[in-house]
Amino acid sequence: MSQTEHLLKTLPNDIGGLPADRIERIDHELEPWEKRCHALADVLDFHKIISTEEKRRGVESLGAELIGKLTYYERWVVAFANILFQKGILTPEELAKKMDEVERRQAE
Amino acid sequence: MPIPFPAPGLNVVKALGEEPAFKAGDSVRISVRYPVGHYRVPAYIRGKLATVDAVMEPPAVNNEEEGFGRNAGCKGHYFRVAIPLTALWPGYAGSLLDSLRIEVFETWLERV
Amino acid sequence: MDDHDHSHPHPAAADEAPPGYYEIMETAIRELLIEKKLIAPGEIRRQIEVLDSRTPALGAKVVARAWVDPGFRARLLTNGRAACEELGISFYDDTQLIVLENTDKVHNLIVCTLCSCYPRPVLGLPPDWYKARPYRARAVREPRKVLSEFGTEIPEDVEIRVSDSTAIQRYLVLPQRPAGTEDFTEEQLAAMVTRDAMIGVVKVNLEHRIDS
Repeated sequence: MSQTEHLLKTLPNDIGGLPADRIERIDHELEPWEKRCHALADVLDFHKIISTEEKRRGVESLGAELIGKLTYYERWVVAFANILFQKGILTPEELAKKMDEVERRQAE
Repeated sequence: MPIPFPAPGLNVVKALGEEPAFKAGDSVRISVRYPVGHYRVPAYIRGKLATVDAVMEPPAVNNEEEGFGRNAGCKGHYFRVAIPLTALWPGYAGSLLDSLRIEVFETWLERV
Repeated sequence: MDDHDHSHPHPAAADEAPPGYYEIMETAIRELLIEKKLIAPGEIRRQIEVLDSRTPALGAKVVARAWVDPGFRARLLTNGRAACEELGISFYDDTQLIVLENTDKVHNLIVCTLCSCYPRPVLGLPPDWYKARPYRARAVREPRKVLSEFGTEIPEDVEIRVSDSTAIQRYLVLPQRPAGTEDFTEEQLAAMVTRDAMIGVVKVNLEHRIDS
């Protein structure tokens, strides 16, 4: 199997049995936005706007580099954006404009 | 008490394919295939021999399809299967008794 | 996580750092979905309250009840979700629950190698280590080493049974009731049961007893 073939056939999060470090018993209290993000995921699933499984696929499809560099809830929120674009619920332009508006508002 | 599926006494006549394909104790093999894009059967169990531990009721949608937004439609069974860790990992250092339990959708299981 | 005061989920505005890029994206997505009337503003608030109401204390209550009530224990092992609902613990999602009983012959351990499946309705959100690579990668391959890193040693003649969640079933470990607790009340028993014991990485010990 070529290297690219392996990358395609094995999802970045499919890590059962792979070598890994000693377990550090890390934990952190969720940031308010992380908790909102979790609640948003649940609500999107309740309405099947984005089901839990679609969210998982959305995270996998970010690819290994982004998955490795983003935090847990950062991965979720980017996956939400991509899935909402794919479904035609939001457009990239709409989200960009709204993000600018939110940033300006919160800077005030 | 939980209501078993289907509720007793109803004499439900099941449609073709509604009957679970395997029962507890059956020997099965996890298929070897490599779906691209999304899957819910981890690579480390593919091709392994397993024993059906329990049939998961009621039937459910294949979550590999749910990943693409299909939330309804044809349902099938998940099976909770058992695999000895010595069969999964050559040279496994723990006890011979140690084992894995994992749920696998019917489309991934082959009769042995 | 257990001892955190959840009554002030939003930090004071005055000393708040400007929101980061991903936080802005979260806010923007949420507001757009509300504007399009796909979700209602109250739903997010309500779900945050639901999430805050779920802590390992609920799971501990289930375990303690199973220890003192054999009928409940039998129902719990038959249908975990229905038995939890009997105790007023609602399942806010589509998940089912299989309760795995530890015995003299079997020690159970739960993991999700593909993502972070966890019995959230009864334990709350998982700790970061449960979602991180070392635990997910190693629990299915060398569970005894993993357990020893948590200070847990399981004899060779006891089977370690690792359950890897992949679909709608979630797992909860029903730990063994420690010897010497025969006179304990249900509340005293529940106070000994830790989150990690219900994941299966530790046992319930008398030393874990929280004096209330």
